[in-house]
Amino acid sequence: MEKKTSFKPKTISALKDFACVLPAIVLLVIFTYYPICKLVQITFTDWNLLNDTWNYVGLKNWIWLFNGSGTKHLLNSLRVTFLYSLGELAVTMGGGLILALVFNRLTKTFSIMRAIVFVPKYVAMSSAAVVYLWILNTDSGVLNYLLGLIGIPAVDWLGQRETALISVLMLTTWRTLGYGMMIYLSAMIGISKDYYEAASLDGATGFQQFWKITIPLLSPTTLFLFVTTFISSMKVFQSVDILTQGGPYRSTEVFVYKIYLYAMEDFRMDRASVIAIAFFVLLLIVTVSTFKISNKNVHYDS
Amino acid sequence: MKKVLAVALTAAMGCSLLSGCSGGGSTGGAAVKQTEAAKETTAAAAAAETTAAEAVDASKYEVTEPITIQWWHALEDQYSQTVQEIVDGFNSSQDLITVEPVYVGNYAAVNEALVAAHAAGTGLPAITVSNTPYIAEYGAGGLCEDLKPYAEATGYDLSDFGAGMIAATSYEDKQVALPFLISTQVIYYNKDVADELGVTIPEKFSDMDEYLEKVSIVNNGETERYGCVIPGWDQWYFETFYLNNGVKIINDDQVTTDLGSDEAVALVNKFKEWCDKGYIYWANGTDASSIMRQNFIDGKAFSVSHTSSLYNTYVDKCDFEVGMAWLPGGDTKNQEIGGSAILIPAKNDQATKNAAWQFMMYLCGKEVNMKWATETGYMPTRNSVLTTDEGKKFLEEKPAFQCIFDNLDLINPRIQHPGWSQLATIWKNYMAEIMIEDVDIPTMIEDMVDEIDEVLGDA
Repeated sequence: MEKKTSFKPKTISALKDFACVLPAIVLLVIFTYYPICKLVQITFTDWNLLNDTWNYVGLKNWIWLFNGSGTKHLLNSLRVTFLYSLGELAVTMGGGLILALVFNRLTKTFSIMRAIVFVPKYVAMSSAAVVYLWILNTDSGVLNYLLGLIGIPAVDWLGQRETALISVLMLTTWRTLGYGMMIYLSAMIGISKDYYEAASLDGATGFQQFWKITIPLLSPTTLFLFVTTFISSMKVFQSVDILTQGGPYRSTEVFVYKIYLYAMEDFRMDRASVIAIAFFVLLLIVTVSTFKISNKNVHYDS
Repeated sequence: MKKVLAVALTAAMGCSLLSGCSGGGSTGGAAVKQTEAAKETTAAAAAAETTAAEAVDASKYEVTEPITIQWWHALEDQYSQTVQEIVDGFNSSQDLITVEPVYVGNYAAVNEALVAAHAAGTGLPAITVSNTPYIAEYGAGGLCEDLKPYAEATGYDLSDFGAGMIAATSYEDKQVALPFLISTQVIYYNKDVADELGVTIPEKFSDMDEYLEKVSIVNNGETERYGCVIPGWDQWYFETFYLNNGVKIINDDQVTTDLGSDEAVALVNKFKEWCDKGYIYWANGTDASSIMRQNFIDGKAFSVSHTSSLYNTYVDKCDFEVGMAWLPGGDTKNQEIGGSAILIPAKNDQATKNAAWQFMMYLCGKEVNMKWATETGYMPTRNSVLTTDEGKKFLEEKPAFQCIFDNLDLINPRIQHPGWSQLATIWKNYMAEIMIEDVDIPTMIEDMVDEIDEVLGDA
């Protein structure tokens, strides 16, 4: 005889499902949601990271950020971070697509070349940045040496406002170009050859095939690359910390570096928190907007 | 065509990769070797300086059980042998405490790790170095143990340190650290060229015009030899020019700055004039320190303002005689302490703090201090060593240090204010932009003062 239970099968199933995700929820609550809540709390205090206690100061930090001297720095960091993100997006998506087209041959030689292009992604950013410090050195750097051979005078790559962010992007390009290429390549291989054959029979040119078939069918990959690259580029820190330390005169002071400066150098955890929360909200808005907009423009092959 | 393009791109990426493989040098780090536990009593190293004290309960500060402690430092590879010798010396001088030296990184890295450990209340070292500008903020935040009771309990003579050094490591009557590897700002100059031209480093800032004109070589607007390089990456190197010329930097009210005063503006204009004439080079940016050094070594700069701790480096690298001079002053000719102090985190347990104090006494003792001074470029911190044979020997080996010994009393503590770090960042950023770019100076100064006032008012 079957034992009677007070729960309906549907409820039991739901409880089982919940039990499966419970460990993940617990970890998320402890390591993600609780810190976010704590961070929001700190924005209303004057905590300086060193003191064990703090005072509540109401909206003072928010007023500082949006209607005080913090606004200027917020806008500067916003501008610098977006410029950097645009650069990284262009390199990863544009450069990746071009390289994918160039390297789209399934031969051994091309496999080796693809591997060489892709490997920089796995070089630790800190190590790569130290190497680029040397490459970009004004007096003894390889880049200026090579430029000197063709008569171009030495450039202070990391010391000038005009070139500092470009220098950071050079490192980013070196590291991420291969990644964009591999993602696009794997997507291209997945596109059915039938489309191209049919288009050829109809007399479509190579460019028309690329524009009308390849690009639309790569749109899910493009969306994926856009969202992941945008979010990761907005969080750029290590390369800036090692190459420019936010300088010269704040011209590479990206968001995360700004947060770091306030928290760890100035001991202004209150101000660091308020910028961090603003940054979090900004990323959330951009990500949600991207998905909303892309729903209409992304084509998924059945 | 496609194949050629692919090969070219692969080659370019590959070259960068290879340079990555070959260029990634070590960032350095002292070998962390634990020595064997040793023989004598705990306080033997400082025995000459310790006597039983009556005012405090000395037994509270005694080390009674064997203990292993960590010492965080920022001394890079070239000092690893000295670090190990000193730690080994301490470990073998007594049998209860074993010290493990840990290279954490530069001072900024030590600061990050220390503040994070303090906030978390765990993972703290027993004893750590700290760059001198952080001491006031650490003191205000309760990060450091007050060392006075320890000194009283063990009869440790704090008065033997230079008065400025003791002030620099105190906060509101608490001795929150001890002077460790101390330096000050100096001017290094090419003595061979100076003798040839018959010039000396001026004593007054107002005499700099004539001096810079003599030593600089500028042809058709192109500078072949800078008269002086000013390190713009750290305001410490130029703030004494202000302090000696009537600028307080932070007014007595503690909430405003006088960096917009006539005196301060005159200094900015003068620096800018020298930059525009090609007499001085305002070194700024990531490479600034190495570029500045290389310019001096290559003879492209007659003089550089830098820390006295780099004396050995300059002497070793230059193929000409290196002179060292006190910075040109104004109404006064004071300078400020640089380098590092050593402290004990307050959140440690008492047994760890007691062991750390024993090691601290050893590290800052006369003998060990002279070893630091001889093997690095840092200064002796104890007044009494200056008249000893060791002190005289030190001067014989490094006669250039006479200019510092002559002015020890003029080396003052850094400005202590909770908003100092923020002020410094704002100030050096504006100064670099003014000196290097073509900007409207009055507007820039006005913006800078507004920003600094806001920071000071809210600190």
